[in-house]
Amino acid sequence: MVTTYIRRAYSSFVAHVFDIPARLLAFLLFLTLLFIPFAIQNTYYLRILILANVLAIFAVSWDFLVGRTGQISLGHAIFFGIGGYITALLSSSKFFGLPIFLTIPIAILAACIIALALGIPSLRVKGPYLALVTMSFPLILAALLKWYPLNHIFKGEFGIRGLPALVPRLDWMTIGQQRVGEYYVTLILLFAASVILYKIANSKIGLVFVSILDDELASKACGINVTKYKLMGFMISGLFGALAGCIQTHLLRFANPPMFALTLSFLPVIVTFLGGLGTIYGPIVGAYIYYILDSYVLRDWLPRFLKETVGVTLPPEFDFAKLLIFTLIVLILVIKLPRGIAKFTTDKLGDLEEARDLDERGPRIWKTYKKKEKTTSTGSEPTASS
Amino acid sequence: MSPLHLLEIKNLTKHFGGLAAVDNISFQADEGEIIGIIGPNGAGKTTLFNLISGFLKPDSGTMKLRGENITGLEPHKIVNKGIARTFQVVRPFRHLPVIANVMVALRSPRGARKIEWLKTIERKAADLLEDVGLSEMMLEPAENMGHGTLKRLEMARALATEPDLLMLDEPFGGLNPLETDFLTKSLMRMHLDEPTRCILIVEHKLYALMKIVSRVVVLHQGEKIAEGTPEEIAQNDRVIEVYMGKGIQDA
Amino acid sequence: MIEEILVYGAISGGMYALLALGFTLIYGVSGVVNLAHGSFFMVGTYLFYVFGISGFFSLIPLTLLDPTWGPLAALILAIAFTGVISAALYRIIIHPVLGDEIGVMVVTVSLALIIQQLILMIFGPPNLRINPLVTGSKQIWGLGVTNMRLLAFGVSLILFIVLWIFTNKSKVGNAMRAVSQDREAAMLMGINTERLYMLTMALSAMLAAAAGVFITASITEYAAPWIWLHPLALSFSIVILGGLGSIKGSLLGGFIVGYAEQAVAIGVPEGGSIISIVPFTVMVIVLLLRPKGLFGKRIEMED
Repeated sequence: MVTTYIRRAYSSFVAHVFDIPARLLAFLLFLTLLFIPFAIQNTYYLRILILANVLAIFAVSWDFLVGRTGQISLGHAIFFGIGGYITALLSSSKFFGLPIFLTIPIAILAACIIALALGIPSLRVKGPYLALVTMSFPLILAALLKWYPLNHIFKGEFGIRGLPALVPRLDWMTIGQQRVGEYYVTLILLFAASVILYKIANSKIGLVFVSILDDELASKACGINVTKYKLMGFMISGLFGALAGCIQTHLLRFANPPMFALTLSFLPVIVTFLGGLGTIYGPIVGAYIYYILDSYVLRDWLPRFLKETVGVTLPPEFDFAKLLIFTLIVLILVIKLPRGIAKFTTDKLGDLEEARDLDERGPRIWKTYKKKEKTTSTGSEPTASS
Repeated sequence: MSPLHLLEIKNLTKHFGGLAAVDNISFQADEGEIIGIIGPNGAGKTTLFNLISGFLKPDSGTMKLRGENITGLEPHKIVNKGIARTFQVVRPFRHLPVIANVMVALRSPRGARKIEWLKTIERKAADLLEDVGLSEMMLEPAENMGHGTLKRLEMARALATEPDLLMLDEPFGGLNPLETDFLTKSLMRMHLDEPTRCILIVEHKLYALMKIVSRVVVLHQGEKIAEGTPEEIAQNDRVIEVYMGKGIQDA
Repeated sequence: MIEEILVYGAISGGMYALLALGFTLIYGVSGVVNLAHGSFFMVGTYLFYVFGISGFFSLIPLTLLDPTWGPLAALILAIAFTGVISAALYRIIIHPVLGDEIGVMVVTVSLALIIQQLILMIFGPPNLRINPLVTGSKQIWGLGVTNMRLLAFGVSLILFIVLWIFTNKSKVGNAMRAVSQDREAAMLMGINTERLYMLTMALSAMLAAAAGVFITASITEYAAPWIWLHPLALSFSIVILGGLGSIKGSLLGGFIVGYAEQAVAIGVPEGGSIISIVPFTVMVIVLLLRPKGLFGKRIEMED
């Protein structure tokens, strides 16, 4: 009984995952991510991957908004910062001292409501206007947080510090074990967030989102309440953006005004373009590439490599070159490979897939339709003759 | 009280800058009619459509659907009250497959309500595409389609909400004779299948149009200059003058 | 207090208008939302520093004759170089993604970050002092106003008038207006849009550079690798306030923001620290009332 169930589950799994090259690739990537802590013991490297997970959640939420609903936001840091600050205020022992499993849900719901409140006025404008208006929101909030009369609440530039950790370090834990815990928590949240967003994006509601992206007027002519769907997209995206902010706040155990910085608004943009806009999975690849390139290859590996093989010590100015090199890569990619790395890969795999896709999956609708057609026509004939 | 017209337009006016694109137009449309709206370029036909479908707000005048005032409503609300339209220049959702284009319209409140119980949205969409003869290519992306196909796709999309009033903006524009013939036939069949539905057609190609319409409204420079059966219109002096004048210019 | 707002507001307003004019010009003509606009502001300032203040020109005998020539030559060189650099960058980076709204924003953001990092690498993070071009001050309504600020105000007004004439009277200006109104028609008329875009980009960057030199030399008096952010924020909020692509709008918007900033700095407790949100707040209020800005083109329906 149990074995048949397992066998059936296995065969459906094989049919759904192993059969499609892109899904197989995604599955293998997920497996790799799952077992990374066994291979990497270094806490610094784990730290990089943890932060990559957080950035991936953030970037996926941006990609959903821009790539799937067509609302260009250049101020996504507002959700990140709001999520972070709300959970910080609620969980800080100086204010409310609530446990984080309460404060994080409250924070993301609050961010959702704020997304609605910001969305109603700003969705009156479109395209470049919307991009620039959204860009200003986090800047306004960051300035208010630093405003002297509010310093007794927000602590200005210093930020709210000493917050509870995402994964508390119990007595028996080493730092390494705490990191592994954090890694799995962030990985699971990333997995959940991206699956949920992917499902929404490919659902029938997702169709409507894409239709608005393609042609807003035509969507209206189809009877779609465009404003409602746009606000919905804004809120969903804001929710996951705030989740990323909450996670980072409790990982680093502080919330400060740079959470609203312009660079934090631009980072998901760059990371998403690196992976592929509108794909949902692309930004995850992009975020990993970003952190591995920035914090491992350029900060750790390259200086070591040059020192050991060539005997050259990099000057301190090289620190500034890291972001430069990364941005340069993005720039070249956007110009030469406008659909992003992940999208490029899956497109190549998709060529394999497409032939069979048209053969099987697509025409399934077509086949059932044909079948029904036949049964109805043959079924109606006798009644007509009698 | 007089019986309610399906659509009643009274003194509709719209200015662009100083120019009146639609000037004090009134007419009625009743159930089961096929009405042609004709006129030379710049006569305000498309503006009239945009006003009725809510994409433009009129400067003055009222529009009533079955006695209910729909003036100045949002476009999507008007669609959900039962007025659907197509566009002169096709506006498909290019990133979506053909069938998904129709499914978007079926996601609208009216479209969803019109799906029969126990029927999937995909099946309903496939049925609609069958009606316009697109069932072979319903899984292909809309961006690969030709102009004539996209016109039919737009028609299926408009029909998805099962409108009481269907407005077609130059449905024959850019079609070859074969496609024109197909469209004429499918319009006539639709008229037989749904005898209560009113169809409003804006058109340049008078020949194709005159065969199917029951009544014609002629616009010239934003004003209504004539209204009547195709035969009456063909003998109307003012209309001949306007059209001949245009013919001379063209020649 | 009123005098302070009026005088200082007008001075910064004039400079802001100049800055925003560049942003609106390139958008109006080519549809590029140039998020690297602030970077050209910064590039202009740093070039001015290199040419004028670090002693570059003391090597050349010309300036030995008359010491006032040095800063002037540095100013002109800085502006010209910024123009050349921006035209080249436009051709290499922006041109391939032209027409893709999000793509343009991404490449220009990347460009801004790259320029910031380059400047960090070359000049390092500390602030560099930018000295005023001229010294001394005058009394206006009992307020001490430095000559440098007066010069900045004068120059901004002159440049504005020159540009107004340029766009309305010259052949290139006519082409610019034609393209911004109807791109396809302009192309059919035989306007080489590619060259025109490049020229507009150079002009826009040169305006940013001029604003950069005058604002840093008259108001802030320092250059740092992140001085691109505030000018960018300023220019886009002014431009949205006035309407994207409208020259009139950016002039009015510049002065509105200039006055509003001074009013907040003087009238609100600790106002100096929240001065940076003034442009955004004004912009959001205006957009709520008029979604296309004060002078933005009203597009009702495009078919």
